[in-house]
Amino acid sequence: MIPYGRSLKRFLIRLGLATFALLALSPVLWGVVTSLYPLSSLTSRPPDLNPANLTIENYILVFDTSRGLFSGLVNSFIIAFFTSAVGLVVGSAAAYALARLNIPGRNQILLMILATQMFPGIVIAIPLFLVMSRLDLVDTHFGLIMVYLSFILPIVIWILKGFFESVPMELERAAAVDGATPLQTFQFVVLPISLPPLFATGVFAFIESWNEFFFAIILTRINVKTAPIAIAEFSGQYTTLYGQMLASAVLASIPVVVLAIIFRRFILEGFVEGAIKA
Amino acid sequence: MGLWFTAPALLILLTVLAYPIVASFVLSFQRIRFAGEGLSHQFNGLNNYAELLSNQLFRQALFRSIYFTLVEVAAVIVLALLVALMLNHPLGRNAFYRVVLLVPWALAPVANAVLWKWIFNTNYGVLNAILMGIHIIDKPIVWLGSPWLALNMILMADIWKAVPFIALLLLAGLQNIPIHLYKAARLDGANTWQQFVHITVPGLKASIVISIVLQSIWALKVFDLIYVLTHGSPADSTVLLNYLSWRETFSNLDIGYGAAIANVLFIIMFILALIYIRALRPRQIKEK
Amino acid sequence: MATLELVHVVKKFGDFTAINDVSLQVDEGQFVTLLGPSGCGKSTLLNMISGLEDVTAGEILMNGKVVNQLGPYERDVAMVFQNYALYPHMSVAENIGFSMKLRKRPKKEIKERVQSVANMLELEHLLHRLPRELSGGQQQRVAIGRAVIREPSIFLFDEPFSNLDAALRIKTRGEIKELHQRLGVTSIFVTHDQEEALSLSDDIAVLSAGKLEQHGTPEEIYSRPASKYVARFIGSPQMDIFAGNFVMKDNSLWYQIGEANMPLPIDFIAPPQQVDMGIRPEYVLLGTKGFPASVRLVQPVGPFTYVTVDWQGGSVTARVNGVSHLKVKEALHVEFNPEGLIFFDRASEKRLDI
Repeated sequence: MIPYGRSLKRFLIRLGLATFALLALSPVLWGVVTSLYPLSSLTSRPPDLNPANLTIENYILVFDTSRGLFSGLVNSFIIAFFTSAVGLVVGSAAAYALARLNIPGRNQILLMILATQMFPGIVIAIPLFLVMSRLDLVDTHFGLIMVYLSFILPIVIWILKGFFESVPMELERAAAVDGATPLQTFQFVVLPISLPPLFATGVFAFIESWNEFFFAIILTRINVKTAPIAIAEFSGQYTTLYGQMLASAVLASIPVVVLAIIFRRFILEGFVEGAIKA
Repeated sequence: MGLWFTAPALLILLTVLAYPIVASFVLSFQRIRFAGEGLSHQFNGLNNYAELLSNQLFRQALFRSIYFTLVEVAAVIVLALLVALMLNHPLGRNAFYRVVLLVPWALAPVANAVLWKWIFNTNYGVLNAILMGIHIIDKPIVWLGSPWLALNMILMADIWKAVPFIALLLLAGLQNIPIHLYKAARLDGANTWQQFVHITVPGLKASIVISIVLQSIWALKVFDLIYVLTHGSPADSTVLLNYLSWRETFSNLDIGYGAAIANVLFIIMFILALIYIRALRPRQIKEK
Repeated sequence: MATLELVHVVKKFGDFTAINDVSLQVDEGQFVTLLGPSGCGKSTLLNMISGLEDVTAGEILMNGKVVNQLGPYERDVAMVFQNYALYPHMSVAENIGFSMKLRKRPKKEIKERVQSVANMLELEHLLHRLPRELSGGQQQRVAIGRAVIREPSIFLFDEPFSNLDAALRIKTRGEIKELHQRLGVTSIFVTHDQEEALSLSDDIAVLSAGKLEQHGTPEEIYSRPASKYVARFIGSPQMDIFAGNFVMKDNSLWYQIGEANMPLPIDFIAPPQQVDMGIRPEYVLLGTKGFPASVRLVQPVGPFTYVTVDWQGGSVTARVNGVSHLKVKEALHVEFNPEGLIFFDRASEKRLDI
């Protein structure tokens, strides 16, 4: 009974894994595949999936029109890049201070940071929009970056704080004995050994900023239209241009998916750290 | 000294968040109209809240949000647990599966919405094509056109996207359970199911609780899917609280009312957050 | 080089008192060990001397000046940590030279000093390696090098050998002793290993639960322990201590333990209080004279054999030279060399001078 049971179990697990991979990837693959067919192939009944029809015309069209996908991609890149860069610099300093330096009100600050994760964006979006329109910050890169920082910073701080706390105190003590100020300890000892979580957090921040939609449609108009908005426009107004709709989605997704795959080990490790520390 | 380190972060957080939170509260008690170049703020007492309580659309959106959250959390946790268990098994240790996990997670919610919009397309979508191909149905179903169906299709699309992160979280929890516990159990004669019940589940309790709370909060925040897939139709049957608040504020321009709805959502999430914090607090060992 | 003085130093963590009024004086160039079991506060004390921990009350003076407010670097102390605390991303050369780099010394000067320290510690061929590529002993030498290059007034060692295996430990012990003889810098050494303390130190300070039990030379600590605690802590195997009474019998004074009466020297005056008696294995003699006893345990340890016997007063361990051929349950006699008798006041547990 036992050998039979074990190989049955193994078979079931293999089956489960295959099903999982299939379910997880097929929607995406289907989207990619159909984006490579001209509209005529897709709308014929039954759909004409002859490989001979493969084409990249959707992708060209997507850039051609004044739909703004190209500027959407550029804007998304600018926003995501600066949000994650500034977020890392500012957030890592704050995380280190909260982890190691004795700050008055430390617990209150931590609680506040935790609290920022716990409410819906709509609550602040309304007043933010009012204020920002008065300050002429609507539809500016700076404005959107600031807003994104407000919900990226807490995550960055939380993850990095957890990591900094796990750096052996002896190392920082040795630096103090060697004559390092807290800033020097941070710069020369703690940061260099924190590159993996720093990377992971930076990539995470980049992905979150890139994908963000809600604040983007509220706080931008024309100048700072981001990629997600461009995609939504493709799917809204021109619901018959399925190919282009998918092509825009694929294009806008490639950067983040690639980033996630390249840095997957850092991200996965970052999750482990973050989940435990939380 | 440490204050210098934290100052920039605190500055940003305070300016961008502190004022709006307070302001949102204030706005919900006002009736706001467009007057000339700007806005007129008129104190409206609790009227906005009274209105939403009596408003049928609000009540329906509330119930739908609760339904959506409950179903999504249950489905995501069960599925994610299955995935995590499989990935924890030696057969599933391959890096390929981790990459597979990351793909749905990394997608923008909007891109996700577009994908599913295409799959659910009545005339050309692959879902109908497959179902008709294996003769389960003989006419295409308008997935996003009938009220109850549309809501559940959105639910499905969000579950698909949400499972990877929770699976990763649970996987991390699984990997934290010391292996020697399983070895000891095997020696004591426990079979696979018993090991699962007596070692795995208790060891995952904290991770599961965190997952429940996090996923609930995210379920309440659903927006992109509604915006792209249905815009709330058919007949407002896919309007959830978050979307309703947005629509009232930015489409119907009833800012005070929209703010009131937002605050209700805030309260719900706040309660959930309190549960989160309580669940995270290290439990004291109770003496008997 | 500096003198160190601790004056009524107290350290509290919330309600918990880690160091309870410790006063200590260390002369220039002395090698002093803080000895005690885990949790006795020795590392806390070391951290306070280094400046890494604040003092709750009391003063720390170096060269006569109060240094409570100064940080470790300003106190001119260098420290070798228990887990070495080498900067993992820096090479051996960078690790050693880090303190100089922080002071912005010219690169040439750093290179020369690092080279000379490396030569002294036989690390020249390892200068480009990273810490994780080194063996435990090599890592430790790098940690020492990092401290040596500072040319500090005081060296601090925090249980630096606890991560080394036994053979390496003894070898490194010798190297540290040689280093101290060569450089002559005041050194404070923390350990729980009493053998280490005895072999390395000029002076030993025995600590227990935050209090200083005794401060003296190794010889004093060993032969004239101030209390039962010190007596038991020092010496391996442990000193045997018996609870007995003085009795008068046949016009002579005896010390009665269980059923046995121990003869005492003629000029011995019995103190009024209750007294315990202790004796170390090397003063316990086995043979044909004395109290009847039977062998319980035979433990050879190379040059000696420790034989534990049961006698009328309980059980006691004797040290026998060489290899012993005694067998368990063998009958013999046990005798105690009066020179090795140490008496303790039963109530206060302090040693009595008799």
